[in-house]
Amino acid sequence: MNLTLGIFIIILLITLGITYWAARRTRTTSDFYAADSKLTAAQNGFALAGDWCSAAAFLGFTGLTALYGMDGAFYALGPLVAFCTVLFLIAEPMRNTGRYTLGDVIRSRMQTRTSLLAAIAGTVVVNFAYLMPQMAGAGVLVRLLTGISYDWAVIFVGVSMIIYVAFGGMLATTWVQIVKAVLMLSAGAIILIMILSVVHFNPLTLFADAEQKYTAKYLLPGNYLKNPFDQISLGLGYVLGLAGLPHVMTRFYTVPDARTARRSVVWVMFLAGAFFAGTTLFGLAAANYVGQEAIRAADKGGNLTLPLLAQYLGGGKGSFGGDLMLGFVAAVAVATILAVVSALTLSTSGAIAHDFYVNWVKRGQVDGKTEVWIARIAAVVIGVLAIALGILAQGVNVAVLVILAICVAASANFPVLILSLFWRRFNTGGVVGGMTVGLISSVVLAMIGPAMRGADALWPLVNPTVVSLPLGFLGAALGTLISGRDTENEKRFDAFLLQVHTGVAPG
Amino acid sequence: MTRNGTSLEVAHASVKELIAEKLKYLVPMTIIFMVGYIGLTILAGFARDLMGLKIIGSVNLGFALIGLNYLLSWVLAIVYGRIAAGKFDPLAARAAMEISGRGN
Repeated sequence: MNLTLGIFIIILLITLGITYWAARRTRTTSDFYAADSKLTAAQNGFALAGDWCSAAAFLGFTGLTALYGMDGAFYALGPLVAFCTVLFLIAEPMRNTGRYTLGDVIRSRMQTRTSLLAAIAGTVVVNFAYLMPQMAGAGVLVRLLTGISYDWAVIFVGVSMIIYVAFGGMLATTWVQIVKAVLMLSAGAIILIMILSVVHFNPLTLFADAEQKYTAKYLLPGNYLKNPFDQISLGLGYVLGLAGLPHVMTRFYTVPDARTARRSVVWVMFLAGAFFAGTTLFGLAAANYVGQEAIRAADKGGNLTLPLLAQYLGGGKGSFGGDLMLGFVAAVAVATILAVVSALTLSTSGAIAHDFYVNWVKRGQVDGKTEVWIARIAAVVIGVLAIALGILAQGVNVAVLVILAICVAASANFPVLILSLFWRRFNTGGVVGGMTVGLISSVVLAMIGPAMRGADALWPLVNPTVVSLPLGFLGAALGTLISGRDTENEKRFDAFLLQVHTGVAPG
Repeated sequence: MTRNGTSLEVAHASVKELIAEKLKYLVPMTIIFMVGYIGLTILAGFARDLMGLKIIGSVNLGFALIGLNYLLSWVLAIVYGRIAAGKFDPLAARAAMEISGRGN
């Protein structure tokens, strides 16, 4: 445990050094929200990988595969395929039409205050639904790794993220993500090489051993996701939900143009995709060598599978190699949470300071210097709120919130975003309709489902995306048609299209 | 001003051409990855036995299709990058020049 703490303190010092460096370079709003749009494709690709691989991915996928076989591999594949949607349909238009936030895109298309308010609601709900389980997860993980209490662990993570974001803005957040991605990928590569050397570089052995140990049923789908529609919901939620996650999408504002945004997506697809593919092999290896019983004994949900596997590969419990590997993987897991919560805090502070205060309350009449200060204060307030929620969440089943975040992103934010970019008749009524119906149907269905009510569920699916996503689109279409034609808006669409495809606004 | 006005019209025409070009490639590519991935989740949900069909050693059809989906995503990413750089970027650059009134 002391080794973990040591490695972690080194990582922490590096990130604080980065924040000090970044803070001196963060003056304008563009610095704060978008790192002055000066990142390269490779830098943003690494940062995206750091952003997109949450602790749920880093620890969860391996654990799911170890305990449930193929369903874990499904969980790991979705987040890669999701980037196809982003690459083909979202990344470049997003870069071309916005500056700092999701709200910018909706605002520049609709030019109405109501639509901006809807975009703010979508951003804040998704970000907090994502932030709360991350904080709770951080509490459990840091407590496990270092021995400090849950509450102090949450406070520690919250204070670190406030420091990164409030002082260093997007530049610090980005480099924290890059450091974390490099550490995560190195850990993955080391573990992969160790596993391959155990099986004499024949990965097929992993499957054969697993089949022998746990029967062929282990390698079949449906061990975790028993309802077939949950399987489909998961897929849809990933493939369309990523495009509706504001904290990932704002990463495209950190590069100079659409071309770089596109190339950064290709980077992340190879970096994160390789890691996700790796987790499937890690999970099988853990099931074979650590064993499901030992995995369940350490954590019922399997979240400690990867640290346990690393310990085994390093030489086992008590050996120096084993402790070193365990410490390294555990420290990377904490760094992972720090990188993700920072991005969420920054993105939420953009929605509150830039979208709500500056553009909604003050109608844009705020100078840049003041706006940066407001964004910093917003980051502190959001961070404190996240700490409070994280502490309150102890012992509460927060899994439903993870599902909710991705479900709302897919069912509310995605329809509104994609229709704003590509449908001429789409109007403010449609934005409000899509956002309201998508949000309410996701929240209600998730709350009455088995994730929240267990056996008393009024509705069978854990993940309601398969129903709430079509409802979100329906709400957007009905809202558009009911509110009548907005000819001004439709005329403006031609000019908006120029901007979507070239990045240059006429006029 | 008239020059700028006609230039904008030219820009609209260029962007129309760009959109047509994008549709030509993006529609089939989107259909391919959606069918590939959502189809896989449908098979996993409703054809569990089929997914257990052994392909190589203990690796069954399900895992083989998951592997194929990884490959497919990576290939599509590379292909899209090439098409975008070769076909979309020049058209977008031309339209951008026309919008800012520097085209002819």
